[in-house]
Amino acid sequence: MTGVFVDSFVYALGERKVLVQETAEAGRLVSAPSDLESAGFRWHHICEPGTGSYDLARRVTGELAATGRLGRVDAIVYATCLPGNANAGDPGEWERSRDVKHLMDFPAGRLQAEFGLSEAVVFGLNQQACTAMLGSVRLADALLRAEPGWNRVLCVTADRFPEGAKYEQAYNLISDGAAACVVGREPAAFRLVTAHQITNGGLGRAGDDETVGSYFSYTHRLLRETLDRAGMTPADLDWVVTQNTNDKAWQILARLLGVDFGKVFFSSMPDVGHVISADNIVNLVELLATGQVRPGQRLALVMAGFGLNWQCLVLEATDAVRAV
Amino acid sequence: MRGTTLITGADGYLGRRLAATLLGRDEDDLILTVRAADRAELAVKRERLAAELGPGAMGRARVVAADAGRDGAWADLDPRGVTRIVHAAAVTRFNVDRETARRVNTEGTARLLALAARCDNLQRFALLSTLYAAGRRRGDVHEERLPDAGFVNHYEWSKWAAEEQVLDAAGRLPVSVFRLPTLVAEDDDGRVVQYNAFHNTLKLFYYGLLSLVPGDRGTPLSLATAAFTTAAVARLLDPATGGGVFHICPDPAGTASLGELLDTAFTVFERDEAFRRRGVLRPLPCDRESFQDLLNAADQLRAGPVHQSLSSVSPFAHQLYLPKTFHNPALRAVWPGYAAPDPLALAEATCARLVASRWGRRTEET
Repeated sequence: MTGVFVDSFVYALGERKVLVQETAEAGRLVSAPSDLESAGFRWHHICEPGTGSYDLARRVTGELAATGRLGRVDAIVYATCLPGNANAGDPGEWERSRDVKHLMDFPAGRLQAEFGLSEAVVFGLNQQACTAMLGSVRLADALLRAEPGWNRVLCVTADRFPEGAKYEQAYNLISDGAAACVVGREPAAFRLVTAHQITNGGLGRAGDDETVGSYFSYTHRLLRETLDRAGMTPADLDWVVTQNTNDKAWQILARLLGVDFGKVFFSSMPDVGHVISADNIVNLVELLATGQVRPGQRLALVMAGFGLNWQCLVLEATDAVRAV
Repeated sequence: MRGTTLITGADGYLGRRLAATLLGRDEDDLILTVRAADRAELAVKRERLAAELGPGAMGRARVVAADAGRDGAWADLDPRGVTRIVHAAAVTRFNVDRETARRVNTEGTARLLALAARCDNLQRFALLSTLYAAGRRRGDVHEERLPDAGFVNHYEWSKWAAEEQVLDAAGRLPVSVFRLPTLVAEDDDGRVVQYNAFHNTLKLFYYGLLSLVPGDRGTPLSLATAAFTTAAVARLLDPATGGGVFHICPDPAGTASLGELLDTAFTVFERDEAFRRRGVLRPLPCDRESFQDLLNAADQLRAGPVHQSLSSVSPFAHQLYLPKTFHNPALRAVWPGYAAPDPLALAEATCARLVASRWGRRTEET
């Protein structure tokens, strides 16, 4: 159990909500739309041409600011799935000038300046793919342990697929989106119980089928190791908040792990698809909105991503969860 | 006395090996029937068999076109002089559709039995069947006629139905049923020429495309080589050997379990640097419901190779939840030199060959 708390979960999605069939007709899928629909996908969200990933990050940070939850932060961990989204600069400027500073227009710095977070230092996290949001919380916990004078870390993830990209990865329908949360020392809605990550660089260039193929064995291992770290068993989990992927995947994993499938929560999937590294936050927000999370309950947030990376957080709801 | 042995499906995996064995062992002439759409295809197959059986073979062997799946397949064949018939022609894919399985495997056997009935000097009619004619039955399976226990795929059903026809003829014809195991290699050195569900499943594991394994780890899996199987069939065709049902497989003590075979396979895989570098984990055993969910999910992965590979494996996978022990005292009684391959040594040699050749895609280093 750490002395670190997590709350203030927010997310934002690409402005345009599109049916999977429309995206198929636009030639932006790999699979047949019927296959994605059978897997549980229906809608997804795509940014308008003028909207970049940084704009999504601004929206989630702006929501925290507008609701009084941003406050003073000592660090910003800015996580992206696509490394290109860690540069807010204009690629055209680089092409014209051949000046590499246009490749170093860091969105975390922009965020710091735009929201007046002048005390905050910035960290970029861009090699954990879809697991980066969970990784940012883990990094925030480590930073707070290493820096006794720090109290709060803002974790932000934002990704937007490049124009012309297929909006499908490893058989998942993708949404552009962002998410944020605050990790701090003051008691908040959730205490961070433990965090765990597995990276297998040997599968770093895995194809879609290898990614899918490794999903069960590695996710199973991730959960077992995470629970071992926390001295817990699957029966100790009250909720498993997953990524949005084929709806059969967690039916299988729940059986393998001995977790009641009724505890597995990914309600946002038909409406938002796979929001890159924001899925867990989107689903957690929806779970909180149901009012079913009680103080003392323990939740596992689980994500698999390219790289290949797998990450898991275990959170314990505190009394403050009632106010969320 | 010199006779004539008719082998159907003689250009198939076992058919051509059996033809070669009989040519070397007996004095019989051979009639080798193959499926050929026209004269040109027949000529190609005849040439290929001649090359495989050796230069002198065609003096004793005649290659004739016959499609087991068609009416009158062997109607034109002169039955006089045929003393033995080995029915090897069959569709052996686990995912064969019911109509094809019925037409080729079941009705094809009936057509051949009609020919057998016209053979005045017939000494043996042998059907090459499968151990999995036992279908959904669990537990001990003996060398006897099997009840209809239900089947996990149409292939099994069609072979059981073919057995029924052959065994129904037992009062009129000198029939035998040879139930074969899963053939995984040419001989004990593990060389693989023909790939089946066994090899395809291992391929999925090696390439990290499947991290669940269907079945109970304790399920016995009867594996053998083409050399062992062919030798057994040749032995059972000996005129001194009586008819009946024979399990051409290792005895229960010499049969490895699914878990043992998987452990052996992964021990071999993990010796391979490329495999180790990819960090592929050993697969997790899953229950039937989960495996069915996986198959349903794979139906939505049609854009990739997993879907196709799984579809070839899945019709057999259900057998892995139905443990059976195949007994073979009848085989051992008539084959004094019986020596089945050691299952784990065979699995190890086969896996090593599969890894070295990347499932036949590259030339093995010797």
